[in-house]
Amino acid sequence: MTPRKILVVDDEESNVRLLSMSLRSDGYITIPAYSGEEGLEGFKKESPDIVITDIKMPGMDGLELLKKIKEIDSEKEVIIITGHGDIDSTIMALQYGASDFINKPVRDEALAIALTRAESKIDIRKKLNEYTENLENKIKEATTEIRRKSDFQKLLIKSSNNGIVATDNSWKIVIFNPEAERLFQQKQSDVINKIDIKALYPDEIIEALELETEMHKNGRLPWKETTLFSKNGKEIPISFSGNILYEKDKIIGSVSFFQDLTDIKKLEKELIQSERLVAVGQTVSGLAHYIKNILVGLKGGSYVLDVGLKNNNTEKLRAGWNTIKKHINRTSNLVQDLLTYSKERDPEYQKCSPNEVINEVIQLVENVAEKNDIKIKKKLDSAIGEVLIDNKTIHRSLLNLVSNAMDACLDDEDTNKNWFVSIKTSVEKNKIFCLEVEDNGRGMHQETMDNLYTSFFSTKGGRGTGLGLLVTKKLIQEHNGTIDFKSNLNKGTTFTIRLPFKDIIE
Amino acid sequence: MNKKVLIVDDDDDVRTFLLTVLEENNYTPLIAHDGIEGKDMIEKHKPDLVILDVLMPRGSGIQLFRKLKTDDSLKKIPVIMFTGISLKSFLRSQKVLDEFQNGKVPKPDIYLEKPVEPEELIEAIQKKIG
Repeated sequence: MTPRKILVVDDEESNVRLLSMSLRSDGYITIPAYSGEEGLEGFKKESPDIVITDIKMPGMDGLELLKKIKEIDSEKEVIIITGHGDIDSTIMALQYGASDFINKPVRDEALAIALTRAESKIDIRKKLNEYTENLENKIKEATTEIRRKSDFQKLLIKSSNNGIVATDNSWKIVIFNPEAERLFQQKQSDVINKIDIKALYPDEIIEALELETEMHKNGRLPWKETTLFSKNGKEIPISFSGNILYEKDKIIGSVSFFQDLTDIKKLEKELIQSERLVAVGQTVSGLAHYIKNILVGLKGGSYVLDVGLKNNNTEKLRAGWNTIKKHINRTSNLVQDLLTYSKERDPEYQKCSPNEVINEVIQLVENVAEKNDIKIKKKLDSAIGEVLIDNKTIHRSLLNLVSNAMDACLDDEDTNKNWFVSIKTSVEKNKIFCLEVEDNGRGMHQETMDNLYTSFFSTKGGRGTGLGLLVTKKLIQEHNGTIDFKSNLNKGTTFTIRLPFKDIIE
Repeated sequence: MNKKVLIVDDDDDVRTFLLTVLEENNYTPLIAHDGIEGKDMIEKHKPDLVILDVLMPRGSGIQLFRKLKTDDSLKKIPVIMFTGISLKSFLRSQKVLDEFQNGKVPKPDIYLEKPVEPEELIEAIQKKIG
């Protein structure tokens, strides 16, 4: 540490010398001055750390010097040496900012104490200065950082593709970003601190926000699609999400996010449109193929009929006519399927016994099954008595599924199998009637399973319309039921239908 | 003596039509309702030509065709594949394609796609057996 400089001022030379000697022996550097004027000059020149001055001097006295020094540098330590009974000037000196005073004659102990005090003041002041300076720097840094962060966040909010609106706890708008301006067709300056969101949001969103506030859950509203009406009456499809903002359980505001779905909706629409076109195309080509098959049959029939006419052969006439009739029948079935498929139909809940309907269907197919060595097995749950259910749905669906199951057996290349079609019924909880049709026929390829409900998709050649399952599925869905299947290639397929029924109220 | 032509098809109407066309053109038609019956008839009657449907229950036409063409005593009998599916999708059926490529089974002598005009069928038959 560099030794401190002390300016010693006294009009009595001996005093200066004595004091300086004592100070130097303690390690200080001393600057002697023998009058107030000389002292001031020395002060300006040397800028000492401490000044020790006699109070009574001719010319500029100690008080005057003290005043001048303090004007130059209020932080300098000035120790005043006073004579006995100099109370008034001592008080004055203290008022002027003297740091201490010593009585004459100057005793070493008193001097040491005064110096120590002055030095520790200097040290403290220095530390305080450093600390203050440090603090200022830190505050400056922090402020810059905060401003940077806040600017960044402001920029984020400003440039967000989502409309962002924030409110205080009384729903008054405090943040309104450019995207929100665009969506609501409102200027930031017209809404911030001026209106609350109730004047802006659709009721649906306000209700959701208020409900969330009351429930006091996690304060989060998940994304939800709704429609926004902007100031100029334009309807904008949006996705909305919001947060209630809490500070220690107290609501301090809310923030809402709005996503414009206009473009997405447009794309969705286009997609549906193009899918529909594809479906129409498939339907038309499927229909054309099916009609072609019918025409092939009709043409073959009319050839046979012509031969019968030409040869006057009744047998040929009958055979040809039968073929033609059969294909007229197929045409009418196709029309029936198409109509059923395209028309909306409400199920008719009627008093009926599902098991009886199933027995009727089995009677219809028994002959064909027997002719082709297919065993029809049935396991009907007798617990199902009479209930309210649409018997046409059961009849139509079962006939379709059983016909498919028999075809799956007939088309099976494994001729060593003992083919069977098994029909099972049961009642499940919550009034669900369950119907299962299982076969051990050829099973389905993945491609077939993928196209199972595609219109006019058929693996049966000319025999199927490619509408059967589609119609079945539609009837079941209209009955609020479900249809599922499991299939293993070369092993067989199981279809399960579940239909809700109602109890009969007498 | 009229030449014998065996029809193997599961469809009543197709059979009636083919039968009538054959009778009208002085062939003797024989009838089989499926692949198994078809095989029996071929062994029993040794027809001059077989008209074979591809999609049939109980032993498909393809199966029967394979049997015929791998049997030394029967493989000389010409076969007309007669079907509602196109030749392309017939060949696309992987199993069939593999065998054709391996040379295990020759391609069908004639492939006719439904619908077929009587003249077209007769022309095809005449080309093979006169």
